[in-house]
Amino acid sequence: MLSMKSISKVFKTDLVETHALRDFNLEVKEGEFVAVTGPSGSGKTTFLNIAGLLEGFTHGDYFLDGVNISNLSDNKSAAIRNEKIGFIFQGFNLIPDLNLAENVEVPLRYRGFNAAERKRRVQHALEQVGLAARMKHLPSQLSGGQQQRVAIARALAGEPRFLLADEPTGNLDSMMARQVMELLEEINKAGTTIIMVTHDPELARRAQRNIQIVDGQVCDFTMYQGGAEKPHLVSDTESPSDGQQAQTEQVAG
Amino acid sequence: MLQIKPIISTLRHNKSGPLLLLLQIILSVAIVANASFIINERVQLMSRESGLVEDEVFDFTVYNFEEGVDYTAQNSRDMDIIRGLAGVKASTTSSMTPLSGGGWSSTFTYGQSEETAKDAPQAAIYYGDEQMVETLGVEMIAGRNFYQSEIESGHPNTANLAIVSQAFATVTWGDEPAVGQTIYAGGYGEQALKVIGVVKTLQGAWVNSSHLDNAIILNVELGLTSFNRFLVRAEPGLMTELKPQIIAALHKENKNRVIDGFTMITEHRKRVYRDHELMATVLSMMVILLLLITSLGLAGMVMFNIERRTKQIGTRRALGAKKRDIVSFFLVENYIICLTGGVIGALVAVQLGRQLMSVYSLPQLELIYPIATVVGLVVLTTVAVILPARKAAKISPAIATRSV
Ligand SMILES: Nc1ncnc2c1ncn2[C@@H]1O[C@H](COP(=O)(O)OP(=O)(O)O)[C@@H](O)[C@H]1O
Ligand SMILES: [Mg+2]
Repeated sequence: MLSMKSISKVFKTDLVETHALRDFNLEVKEGEFVAVTGPSGSGKTTFLNIAGLLEGFTHGDYFLDGVNISNLSDNKSAAIRNEKIGFIFQGFNLIPDLNLAENVEVPLRYRGFNAAERKRRVQHALEQVGLAARMKHLPSQLSGGQQQRVAIARALAGEPRFLLADEPTGNLDSMMARQVMELLEEINKAGTTIIMVTHDPELARRAQRNIQIVDGQVCDFTMYQGGAEKPHLVSDTESPSDGQQAQTEQVAG
Repeated sequence: MLQIKPIISTLRHNKSGPLLLLLQIILSVAIVANASFIINERVQLMSRESGLVEDEVFDFTVYNFEEGVDYTAQNSRDMDIIRGLAGVKASTTSSMTPLSGGGWSSTFTYGQSEETAKDAPQAAIYYGDEQMVETLGVEMIAGRNFYQSEIESGHPNTANLAIVSQAFATVTWGDEPAVGQTIYAGGYGEQALKVIGVVKTLQGAWVNSSHLDNAIILNVELGLTSFNRFLVRAEPGLMTELKPQIIAALHKENKNRVIDGFTMITEHRKRVYRDHELMATVLSMMVILLLLITSLGLAGMVMFNIERRTKQIGTRRALGAKKRDIVSFFLVENYIICLTGGVIGALVAVQLGRQLMSVYSLPQLELIYPIATVVGLVVLTTVAVILPARKAAKISPAIATRSV
């Protein structure tokens, strides 16, 4: 479903070159729930942005759903984002002047759906996140957790194959974070592939598969039993240390 | 126009900026529509044909001081001297100069009998000789010019032949041919003037009068007073050369007089239309200024909104907006403001036009002006919005995840 081979991303400013991703390799299969962790500044957001076609990359090959992403036009990228990808942001990114229904409707308008179809999908998506009753409210009238659920509804309304979340619970307290996580798990069960960047090891552990990004590269690891926070790097010759739900992967490079 | 409803929601939640802009647009439309109307009216006044070859004709005045001069005889001698100068195409004495702002006019009587006699409309009166038609360069379209032998001299009441402008002929006799008709200076039957010719266009001296195009040439070389006016036709630009020659030649004939006031008709035109031109210029500058301020207001508001909505734009792009969707978002938003303001402004313009009409006795504002102003405003909005909006469209979708 998602395949990245030797992706690198260099940010050039007048003063410095930052290698945000270096020889980055990753395969994600349809239906997986992947949690991405890693230190701050390691390249998690950069990876997610490239995966979600929000920005380009410097070198390498990227195939999404069989489509070569290297030389897409701006319009084509926008269309793929619109149809195949749902985004969930740490800061929710709801449009403050639009009510919940109008917010959820935004990607549907860009899709060109007619009014009836938009209405049906908005209703359905808001029901999924339990906020259909408040569709005329403005985002500012909701709690953070509710806002993030609206953002999830917005991501779901287009029925994407693929959900990308950058620290979706980063601005939420643990109770709300758990609610959001449960929602994501439900969505994943229904068949949507999810890649979620998180700082929260507890949430990461609930994902099917964990990868860690360190210094712009993928380091897969196996969680210790008992929830130890320190990741343990493994090579492809090592076997998984136990039968945890997180599975082992190859070290990049 | 996919986005009208959510854009109206957005406008409803951020009223103050758009409201100020709306107010500005309403005022601009109201003022610009009326100002353009007045400008156009003035420009049309100024572009009316005088019928003359204005760049070839100039006038000057001879002031005699000597006692006991026979002005009529003096005029004849002067006329011969002027016509003898190289470069002078034609020349005549004249009671007045077209477009000069001062001169003679009168009403006449006409009709079949004393009982049915009517007043002809007010008309400017030129007293001149057989060279007047050629000097002015007016076009004869019916009848004939005066013969030299028909020219009287001295007092205006010796006139008996008339050449009239077509405008005068039409308001007086309608479709009937003017040539052969008789008009009377004064009451019916007093001093009959026989119409022998019609010129296509000849204006009088007063550009603000409603009968500017009514003019009559009568067959008298005036010699009534100590000062006398001459009209001369020569190649364009030749006046500067002829002026010293004329002064010298006339002084040589009789040095006890002042010869002065050499002025091209083109200069007379400028002077007599000066107020109109000033009005048109000031109003044009005001229109340009208002349009400039309005476009700056629009562009400023768009730039402010782009700044404020950077993250929102990135998010929209992330959610699938194409660049053109971002541009059209700003266009639609501002078209809504501009058309709302435009429609209200047009109504205010009509109302303002009514006020101006009653207070300053202007003609009624033609509807095409507010309509054209609103159309112009739409074009202006497009230009003012599209440049910043294009920049907004370049905002990277990555902004959505980068800025928190
Ligand atoms: N637009 C940019 N210009 C320059 N450097 C950037 C830009 N975006 C990210 N970086 C750099 O790339 C590296 C990876 O950033 P990021 O992917 O945001 O890390 P993470 O999300 O893991 O915290 C960091 O060193 C960051 O400073
Ligand atoms: Mg990040």
